[in-house]
Amino acid sequence: MNRLILKYGYPVTAVILVIFAWVIYTRISRGSDMVTLALAAIIVWALGTPAFIYFWPRITVTGFKRAIVQRGFSGGPIPVNTLYAEPTISSASASNGSLMGTGTDDVLYIGGWLDVGQGPLVLHVPDMAGRYYSVQFTDPSKSSNFAYVGKRTTGTKAGDYVLSGPGWKGTIPNGMTQISSPTDSALVIGRVFVEGDSDLPAAYALAKQIQLAPLKQ
Amino acid sequence: MGATFAYLTAVLIMNAVGRTITTTVNGWSSIRTCGQPGNGILVRAACAKALPVVNVFEEAAYWTTTRDGSGHRLSGQNDYVLHFPAGQLPPNDAFWSLTVTDVGGYMVNDSQGRSSFNDRSSLAQGADGSIDLYLQRGAPTGHEQNWLPTPAGSFKLMLRAYLPGPAILAGTYRVPQVVKAQ
Repeated sequence: MNRLILKYGYPVTAVILVIFAWVIYTRISRGSDMVTLALAAIIVWALGTPAFIYFWPRITVTGFKRAIVQRGFSGGPIPVNTLYAEPTISSASASNGSLMGTGTDDVLYIGGWLDVGQGPLVLHVPDMAGRYYSVQFTDPSKSSNFAYVGKRTTGTKAGDYVLSGPGWKGTIPNGMTQISSPTDSALVIGRVFVEGDSDLPAAYALAKQIQLAPLKQ
Repeated sequence: MGATFAYLTAVLIMNAVGRTITTTVNGWSSIRTCGQPGNGILVRAACAKALPVVNVFEEAAYWTTTRDGSGHRLSGQNDYVLHFPAGQLPPNDAFWSLTVTDVGGYMVNDSQGRSSFNDRSSLAQGADGSIDLYLQRGAPTGHEQNWLPTPAGSFKLMLRAYLPGPAILAGTYRVPQVVKAQ
C-alpha cells in the first residue's frame, strides 16, 4: 500500500481533487446549503487528521498481520503463534506484490504474528555458530521494536526466550530469559544471513529451527 | 470529503515529519530514529509510512538515493560511478549490500541477473585499494567485474550495513556520492 501511494501519489491526489471539484460544482448548481456542507467537512477534517496520524502505525502493522495470517509468504497462511521461514532469498522474479519483495537478498526472512493473551510463548533459537541473525519483535500499536533476539543483543548460542504479555505473573523456567511484550499482540520478523547460493541449505535449516511453543507451566 | 482531506493532510504531515528526521549526506538519505521505543506520535507515523516495521539503526543502517551527486534523478539513460576510497566500504559486523531497485523499491528483473553487490562480491580494486562500482545499462568495457546493471528508466539505490560499525553509529562515516560519468 505504501509503495503504491509512493508510486501513484500525485496522480491519485489530482484525480481525487478533480472529483471533489466536480461534486461541489454539481451541488452548488442544484442549490445545496454549502455552509452546512463545508462546516461538516471542516469538522471531519480537523478530527480525522490527528486520528489518521495516531492510527497510521497500527494500520501499517495490521497490514503485515493480514498478509502473514491470511496470505503468508510463499507457503500459504501462517497461523497465529507460529513462525514460517521463507526457503529462498528475495529475488526480482518473485518481487512485485510479494511481502518481502523490497527486502534484502542477503537474508532468509522469517515471519509470524503472536498473541500472548492466552499465555506466554517460548521462542527457541538454535546455535547459529557466529552466523548473523536477528528476531525482531514489533509492538503493533506503535510500530516500535521493543525487543531483539540475535547476534547483536543475545549472541549466537542456542537459547530459549519467554515472551510474556502485559500483566503476566509466573515463573520463568531455569535457563530461559523473559521478554515482556507491551501488548498482547506482536509482529515477529526474523532474518538469517545467507552467505551465498551454496550456503542456502544450511541457512534454511537453521532458520526453520527458530520456533515458537507455548510455555509449559 | 472531510475524511479524504483528513487523509491527505495526514499524509502531507507524515511526509513533512519524515523529511525532518531524514539525514541526507552526499545525496544518500537515512533515518536513524525509526523503530525505537519511545518515539512520539508524529515520528512513529512518519516512520510507519516511510519505512514500515524497519530495523532499528543499530541493527541495520539503510541509505537510499534516487539522485546523483549533482541532484539529478538517477536514470538508466546515464552511466554512473560510485567510488569507494580504500577502506571506505560501509564498516559492519555482519554484511553490507548495495541493491538497484525501481523507484518503488522492488528489485528489477534484469536479463543480466545481478541486481546487487555485497561484501562477498569479488570486486576489482584500483592500485590505491579503492573500488569503483559501475552503475549503467550496458556493460562497461574492461570493468565487467564491478558492473551493476541498471534498469532503463529511473531507479533507486539502497545501501545496507547490518550491525553497522562505530563510524556509522557515530555519524562520521559518509557514503560517497554517485557520480555521473562524462
